[in-house]
Amino acid sequence: MTKQKRSNVLFFVFMCLILVFYLIPVFFQVVTAFKTDREITLLGFRWLPASLNFDSYVNAWKMANWPQAFLNSVVMTISVIVVCLSINLLAGYAFARLTFRGSDVLFIILLMGLMIPAQSIIIPQFIIVRSLGLYDTIWGSAICYLSAPMGVFLAKQFYLTFPRELDEAAALDGCSKFGTYMRVYLPLSTTIIATLTITKGTQVWNDFFYPLIMTTSQRNNTLQLCLQLFKGSSTTHFNWLMAAATATSLPMVILYFSAQKYFVEGLQTTGMKN
Amino acid sequence: MQAAKKRTVRYDNSAYLMILPSYLVFVTMVLVPIIWTAYLSFTDYDLKNMTWIGFQNYVNIFQDKLFIASIGHTVYYTALTLVPTIVLSLLLAVALNRKIRGQGVFRTLFYLPHILSMVAVSLSWGYLYNAQAGIINRFLGLFGIAKVGWLTDPGVAMISVAIMSVWGSLGYNSLLFLAGLQNIPGYLYEAAEIDGATKVQQFFRITIPQLRPTTFYIFIMCCIHSFEVFGQVFILTGGGPSDATTTIAHQVYRNGFEYYRMGYASAEAVVLLVIILTITVINYRYGGNGND
Repeated sequence: MTKQKRSNVLFFVFMCLILVFYLIPVFFQVVTAFKTDREITLLGFRWLPASLNFDSYVNAWKMANWPQAFLNSVVMTISVIVVCLSINLLAGYAFARLTFRGSDVLFIILLMGLMIPAQSIIIPQFIIVRSLGLYDTIWGSAICYLSAPMGVFLAKQFYLTFPRELDEAAALDGCSKFGTYMRVYLPLSTTIIATLTITKGTQVWNDFFYPLIMTTSQRNNTLQLCLQLFKGSSTTHFNWLMAAATATSLPMVILYFSAQKYFVEGLQTTGMKN
Repeated sequence: MQAAKKRTVRYDNSAYLMILPSYLVFVTMVLVPIIWTAYLSFTDYDLKNMTWIGFQNYVNIFQDKLFIASIGHTVYYTALTLVPTIVLSLLLAVALNRKIRGQGVFRTLFYLPHILSMVAVSLSWGYLYNAQAGIINRFLGLFGIAKVGWLTDPGVAMISVAIMSVWGSLGYNSLLFLAGLQNIPGYLYEAAEIDGATKVQQFFRITIPQLRPTTFYIFIMCCIHSFEVFGQVFILTGGGPSDATTTIAHQVYRNGFEYYRMGYASAEAVVLLVIILTITVINYRYGGNGND
């Protein structure tokens, strides 16, 4: 018994060490942000900065229009989530509950969309965005995120677990299929809504590829693109860079720690799709 | 044939209306662009003038030393990331599955890198890797080890990119493995215990075979993600030093959006697509027997 206990303690210590090692990059990102410009240029290795110095944050703040970029990211992410959820849940319900010709084929074609790398369709997407007059707006990226086979798939899987009796009861009450979805299914969808909000939200918020292609002016930058461009403007000021990287990560990290249950469950179900 | 047999099934045509919005977006933003890319690959197009040039782009890209090299780099990157990602995330999952104090906290923290953006992670690692001011070289300096050009030495740069990628995907993949582990019925281990199997034997005889579907899934997804690698390379090395880390996706970006050779880039995009689809087909062929 005591031997078991001791091995548990040893294992715990072992895991702590692994974790510390694993998070070293994050640690250095955070502490470097507190170093002064002089400390950065000093040679030699130091674990910690001499003092908690916020100059890097102040300097990084001055270098770009972060509030604008933040606002752009927020507006874009929320719009994409709202549109995606409203269209994907409905489609997921149709695939899960309604019988229609070609449903299997249509569904499989949709799933194949999951395998298509963004870079292989980016050129036509760019042409489409340009011809729609959405080039150099956040909406240019947004419409590219709207295609979400994963959302339809997860919604379908979710609705398949609902008992059939729900539909029958609703039909007896004279609900149409769409009415059944709106009055019965949708109110019971909190879990899937949380899951999709988080998976889609993380993806859109963190992406920089589409904004890189679809925007040019500074005022239309998203946060990630702004961060990436900031790298070019302050190559040697690693403390500023780390401050910017830390600050821009903060919203997501806070969200993650306050809703980690949904994050973990959500992304786990996303992975287990086939 | 349809007329011969009277079906009792009632079709809901309203379903088409319900899937229409999702499908419309999917068709216009994914399906049409696939065909469009294929079409553009037979043209010379700079966003203004388009000329049909047949297979010329394909002839050209396969004579383009840089593109051929980029395929090699992509394969190299895949080889560097695939096995470490799978082995390390499996081991991590097994460790995280063991009941210890603070299990939830461990899982949360190991998972953290997955929610950080590629840009932030690449900036952070860019600093770690920096030859002069970087943390890694400074640390190695304590032991008198000479500076390594993590991102500036053509022979090392891709390895550096791969290490960062493995680091970033470890938490996520181990959570997938964890889900797989939790689906293994406990009686298998109990039976093995009674038969006197050691922990190591149990791992190789029960855990690994039972995880086969999960492992296969992760294998395929890692393969696909590795082949489309772009962000890490773009931010960390910009394809350099001396093009040593340029990948297929990076070449598509460069030719398409830096040189505006849209037809040429489309041909490269088609090659990328064909590679990914081949991997997917292999998935359906050989991975079909494992479900979940």
